[in-house]
Amino acid sequence: MKSLPALPVVSPCFSAAFRAVLHEVLARGARLRGARQENQRARRSALSQSGTFVGHRPYARGDDLRGIDWSAYARSGELFVKQLEEEERRTATLLLDLSASLLVGTPPRRLFALRLAALVGGMALRHLDGLLVLAPGAGPRARVVFQGPADLDRLLAHLEDLPIAASEPRQTMELLLQRSAAGRVHWISDFADPSACEAVLAAVRRRGGHVTGWLPAIPEDAVAPKSGYVRIADPETGEHFTVAIDRLLANELQRELELLRRRQDRLFAQCGCPLLRWSVPATEVPDVAAYQELSALCSR
Amino acid sequence: MLPLVLQAPERLWWLLLLPVLFWLAMPPRPRTVVWTAHLPQWVLAQKTLRRRPPRLRGLRFLLLALACVAAVLAHAGLGLRGTPGPQRLVVLLDASASMAGQGAFAAAQTKLREQFATLPESVDLTVLRCGGPLVRRYGASARTLQDLGPPGGAATADLAALAARVAGPDTVVWTLTDGQGLAPLPTVGALSLVSTAAPNGAVLAVRATDHWPLPQIELEVVVLACTTTAVTGALSLSGAVEPVPGSPLPGSPLLETTVELLPGGAMTLQRTVVRTKAGGLLTVRLAVPGDGLPGDDTWHLELPPLPAPRIAVLGEAEGGPFAAVAAEALAKEVGGEVVPAAQGQEVGLLLVDGGQAPITPGQVRALCFGSRWAGAAEPTPWLQPVVADWDRTGPLGAGLDLSGLRIACAFRETLPPGEPFLWALEAGGEKVPLAVVAGGPELASVHFAFRLQDSNLPLLPAFPQLLRRAFVRTYGAGAALKSLTEAPPAGEQDLLARAVGTERPIPPLGTDDQSLGPWLLLAGLLCLSLRAFVR
Repeated sequence: MKSLPALPVVSPCFSAAFRAVLHEVLARGARLRGARQENQRARRSALSQSGTFVGHRPYARGDDLRGIDWSAYARSGELFVKQLEEEERRTATLLLDLSASLLVGTPPRRLFALRLAALVGGMALRHLDGLLVLAPGAGPRARVVFQGPADLDRLLAHLEDLPIAASEPRQTMELLLQRSAAGRVHWISDFADPSACEAVLAAVRRRGGHVTGWLPAIPEDAVAPKSGYVRIADPETGEHFTVAIDRLLANELQRELELLRRRQDRLFAQCGCPLLRWSVPATEVPDVAAYQELSALCSR
Repeated sequence: MLPLVLQAPERLWWLLLLPVLFWLAMPPRPRTVVWTAHLPQWVLAQKTLRRRPPRLRGLRFLLLALACVAAVLAHAGLGLRGTPGPQRLVVLLDASASMAGQGAFAAAQTKLREQFATLPESVDLTVLRCGGPLVRRYGASARTLQDLGPPGGAATADLAALAARVAGPDTVVWTLTDGQGLAPLPTVGALSLVSTAAPNGAVLAVRATDHWPLPQIELEVVVLACTTTAVTGALSLSGAVEPVPGSPLPGSPLLETTVELLPGGAMTLQRTVVRTKAGGLLTVRLAVPGDGLPGDDTWHLELPPLPAPRIAVLGEAEGGPFAAVAAEALAKEVGGEVVPAAQGQEVGLLLVDGGQAPITPGQVRALCFGSRWAGAAEPTPWLQPVVADWDRTGPLGAGLDLSGLRIACAFRETLPPGEPFLWALEAGGEKVPLAVVAGGPELASVHFAFRLQDSNLPLLPAFPQLLRRAFVRTYGAGAALKSLTEAPPAGEQDLLARAVGTERPIPPLGTDDQSLGPWLLLAGLLCLSLRAFVR
C-alpha cells in the first residue's frame, strides 16, 4: 500500500505583518470578554485553592477531598467544602489543542488557532495581571505563565515553538485543575470529538470555572465536497481510505457535519459556556479588519 | 493451442505476462489526498449508505488474478506425465482344494487386498480363480475379490501355461498358489507361494451295499493318509446308523475305530451298520493327527427311511390262494407282514389280484395282477399270449429268467399308460406290453395284464425276487441311498508333495497421465470464494 504524503506544513504564524496587525488591534483598546468581571471576581470569588476563607458550600461529587471541612462535618454531620478567596490577582487561562487534526485546511487551522491564541493572550496581558498558557502534550512547555504587556513577545515566541502533540482528556483535566489554573479558560480547539471534551468541561464547571470555547472554523467544517475520487486521511491517526464521492455521499456527509456542529453547540450549552466560531480568513496574509472583527468577538 | 505442461517448461514463460496484465488491470490510484478532521463523519456517512470503505483492494485483485491463472492453466491441460509400464494386471489365483489347508486361501486373499490397495486406479485388473469352477472378476469386483467362493475342486488349469499365454508387454501376470498339483511352477510374471505343508488324511470314496428295505448297510471306505510316517487315525461313523447287534456281519461293530494308516497308500476299510428307521444323514469321518486339510476328511450319505413293510392283499373270491401266497412271499423277502386290506389303513404296498383295484395308477404304491383300475375300459380276454421278451437291463427284469412264463389269459385293458418291462408277441409279430410301471421316480405302481391264477408266474423261481423288485420300484428313488459328497480331486490330498520355487515380486506398473485440471479449478474457486470474503 502506498504511504501517505507528509502532513501539511504550517508556515511561521507570527510574521512581521501579523505582529503589526496584532499591535494595532491591541492598541485600539479592545477588552477581553469578562475582564471586567475578572476584576470583581478578584475581590469576591471564592474559587481558589489558596487564599482567605470566605465560607462553606455543600460537597458535590468530584470535589477535591482536601477541601472538605472535617470540623464542620463533625458538628453538622454533613460534608462541606471550604471556599477560599483568591488573592488579589486577575488572570486568564489559554488552553491550546496541539493535535495534528488542526493541520487540516488551507491554510491550516493551526495557523489561525495560534494567531487567535496570540490575540486573546495579548488582550489578557494588556488588561489583566497575568496569563496562563496550557498546552497538553507539550512536555515542559505545557504550562507557562506570562505577566504584563511586556511578555507579549515572549508569548508569541512560546506559541511559535509549541510542537504538534496529541493529548488525552485526562491530561488536559490534570493541567486545568491545578491550583494556579484559575480565571476564565479560553479553550482553542477544533472540538472534532465532542465526547472527549465533555469530561473536561464538566470538571471545570464543577470547580466553578468558566470556559469559552474557540473554534477556528474552516470551510471544510461546514461544506462537504461534492465529487471526486479521493483518499480521505486522518492526520492524527493516519487512518485513510479511498472513496468515490457522489451526490448521495456528499449529502449524507453534509448531514453528518451538521450533526457534529449541533453536538458541539449542545455540549457547551449544557455546561453554560459559550462556543465561539471564528470563520478564518481565506489567506495567511493578516488583514486588520478580520482581526479587528475577532477582537470585537472577544469583547462581546 | 499449445498445451502448458511441465514437460515443456519453455512455454511457461508466457505465464510472466500474467503479472503485467494484473498490473495493467489495476485501477488508477487516487492522486488527491484529503486530510480531514472529520474521518468519523465520513465513516458514518458511508455506513448510513451501506457503503463500506474498500480495503485490501490489492489482495482482492490478486485473488482474482490467481483464479484466472488457475482457470487458464486448467484449460491448457496442465498435468503430470505418467510413468511408462504395463497397464494391465492379471491375477491367477489357485483355488484348488489344497488351498483350503492352513488358511492358505485366506492368506492369499489378504495378500491380494494389500497389493490392490497400492495399485494405481488406472491399472486394468483381472482376477482369475483357477481350480474348481473358473471364476473371472474384472475391475472393481476384482479389486474387492467379490464372490470368489471357497477353495475346492481339482487344479485343472495349467497355471504355468496360462501365465505364459496371458503375459505380454502390456500385461503382468501374478500367480498365487501353494504349488500343489503343479508340476512346473509358472516361470513368467510374478509368483507368490503360500504354504500349506501339513499331514493330511482323506476319505477318497464310500461305497455302500444297501439292503433296503432291510436296515443293513455294508460300507467300503477308501481312505488315504498323506504323511511321512505311518500314523494311527480314527474312522468314525455317525448319524442315522447303529452298530450291528452282536456283530454278525463282517467288520467291526463299533462306530468309531482306530486304524493304522500307511503313508501314501489308499486303504479300503469295511464296515457294517444298521440304519435307524427314520433314516437320515450318515457321516463317515477320518481323523488324522495334525490334519492340515479338514475338508476332505468327511463323507456324507443320505439314508432313506425304512418303509412300513405292511402288505395288504385284495383278491377275488374265486381267485384262489395265489394272492395270499404272493403276499407272504413278498413279506418274507422284505421282512414285512401281511395285513388285511381295510379302508383308511396305512400300508406299505397294496397287492391286488384280479377284480377291481380302487386305485389311480402311479399314485398309490400297488402291485396289480389283472386288476381293472379306476377308469379302465371293459377288459377283453386275450387267450394264451406268448411272452416275447422282458426288460433284461431294467431294475425289474435284470438277471431274472422269465422264459418259462406261461399265460392262459390276459387283459390288455388293465394296463395303464406306463413304462413296459414285459411284452407278448401278437399275431403280426408286434410286441404288446404285458406289464408296465406307472408313475414317477418317487412313487409308482406295477401292473401286470394277467391274474396270478391265469399264469404260472407264482411257480417260477424268479417270482419272489420279482415281487421284491416290484416293491422297491414302487418306492423308486425314495429307496435309493444318496451320496452327498463328491470324491476329492486326485492330486489335492498330499500337501507335502508340492512344487517349490522362488517368489517373484510384481514389476512396477505404469501410470496414466494425471491432469491437474480439477485441482486447479478447485484452487481457482477457493480464490474466488476468498475474494468474496475480503472487503
